[in-house]
Amino acid sequence: MNIFERLQMLDRRWIFLVVAIAIIVPLIIPFNSKTYTTEPTEKLYRLIDSFAPGQDEKPIEKDRALLLVFTHDASTMSELFPMEVAILRHCFARKIKVFTLTFLPSAAPIMDYAINTVKEEFPEVKSGEHYVNFGYKIGALMLPIILGMGEDISEAVDIDAEGRKISSLPIMKNIKNYNEMNLIMDFSGSSAGGAWIVYARSKFGANVGAGVTAVMAADQYPYLQTGQLTGMLAGLKGAAEYEKLVDVFATNQDPAKREFSRELLKDTKYDDAITNPNIKTKFKQARIGMNAQSVAHIMIIVFILIGNIGYFITKYKQKQQG
Amino acid sequence: MKRSIPLAIVIILGFLFVGYVFIPHKISSDFYEWYMEWMKAMSPFGVILGIMSIIMTHTARIQHKVPNWQYSIVTLIAMIFTAYAGFAWGTQEGTPFMWLFKNVQMPMGATMFSLLAFYIASASYKAFRARSAEATVLLLAAIIVMLGQVPVGVSLFGEGINDITHWILNVPNLASKRGIALGVGLGMVATSLRILLGIERTYLGGGE
Repeated sequence: MNIFERLQMLDRRWIFLVVAIAIIVPLIIPFNSKTYTTEPTEKLYRLIDSFAPGQDEKPIEKDRALLLVFTHDASTMSELFPMEVAILRHCFARKIKVFTLTFLPSAAPIMDYAINTVKEEFPEVKSGEHYVNFGYKIGALMLPIILGMGEDISEAVDIDAEGRKISSLPIMKNIKNYNEMNLIMDFSGSSAGGAWIVYARSKFGANVGAGVTAVMAADQYPYLQTGQLTGMLAGLKGAAEYEKLVDVFATNQDPAKREFSRELLKDTKYDDAITNPNIKTKFKQARIGMNAQSVAHIMIIVFILIGNIGYFITKYKQKQQG
Repeated sequence: MKRSIPLAIVIILGFLFVGYVFIPHKISSDFYEWYMEWMKAMSPFGVILGIMSIIMTHTARIQHKVPNWQYSIVTLIAMIFTAYAGFAWGTQEGTPFMWLFKNVQMPMGATMFSLLAFYIASASYKAFRARSAEATVLLLAAIIVMLGQVPVGVSLFGEGINDITHWILNVPNLASKRGIALGVGLGMVATSLRILLGIERTYLGGGE
């Protein structure tokens, strides 16, 4: 038996071991890698950023808000949680009004966890004024809530996770329905967010964005092309792109550089995020994870190539023998 | 009777909802609001049914000592303890419920999902072969998209790999996805019509 025939018979536990090493080592030994942003991520960033109050405007007066819908459980957190943290960080840094909601009981703790993770860095941000967690609402009420928010959010949702009446909260000033809460961002490991496209987008014209796991991203392209999805964060890559955009613009120390600009994105000084101690680890989780994903992808490609070389050589020899 | 009453409920309510969607009239919207009130009242009973079902299923597994019955004990204890932790101390940060979520639910969920990477690697090595022209195209597309999705791919092959990846996702992938979506959509309409007209009855059970 030659080396290629042996490789064909390789026990898959060896493959598991190599993949495990390929993933663990880049997580233990951090290194910088450039994050390239794509159009679907940039479009989302720019729309969310346009909801920020102007310099002379009080955040509470702003008539634009964003709804984050958590439609996933803990299993897909490694890809979706960094997206949620990055968007919440963007909102808190730029004082953009933001709401959170879920129809899955298992997602309710994820919402609390995401809000608390970001809020630690923004002590001035207050619940009821800058953000509201609508909390968990039973799945059977998904449709009436989606449709109801098109008329009046405070009637459709009624109370928030802390049991407060939505209509009495200061954040609701100038916010009534989808005309103001103009973007719904659904995070999901499935196509559950489709309901927002069908009802909130088609019936009320709300903008809908998707944050999906990488394996579900391919399913969303028809909606992106038609414009039914304003933008999309695709897997850990999308999360890493958004993290970078928040670092470069939303949290930029220089207020003059907080507006999106392609020139600033090209600046290489923003490519050292992973080893930069000034950026907290929780705000670069996706970029750290992308290093592991890079090595894992290369390993899988190498496996495919070795497997195919072995296959063709074995086939060639069999042909010669027989 | 066991089949005709559920069948009648499905057909009557089915047509009423079709009416609500296609006839924008006060009567249809009043009907919908009335139904929603019922829906809110009925949903908690669904939770009770779910809890009863879990308890009955796992109690039976323990009683009959079916293979791996020990896991049923873990399931029941975990369900009771988690529910108790939520009711007794709340679900906010710093509570036992949140501790359970962060230290049990999150790592277990992530572990299950991460197994995907290992199986994909193993399957790609063992089964992803260029046996035909179609398989070769698929293989090449997969390699390009995998490289285009990670920074190292762009570092090795330049930004052109990104453009090719976007083209693959935006043209051939999109066309096939749209074709599948249209097929599924038409299938759903056809099945819905069959249910509304009482032709499709397999959802009622009974082996027909």
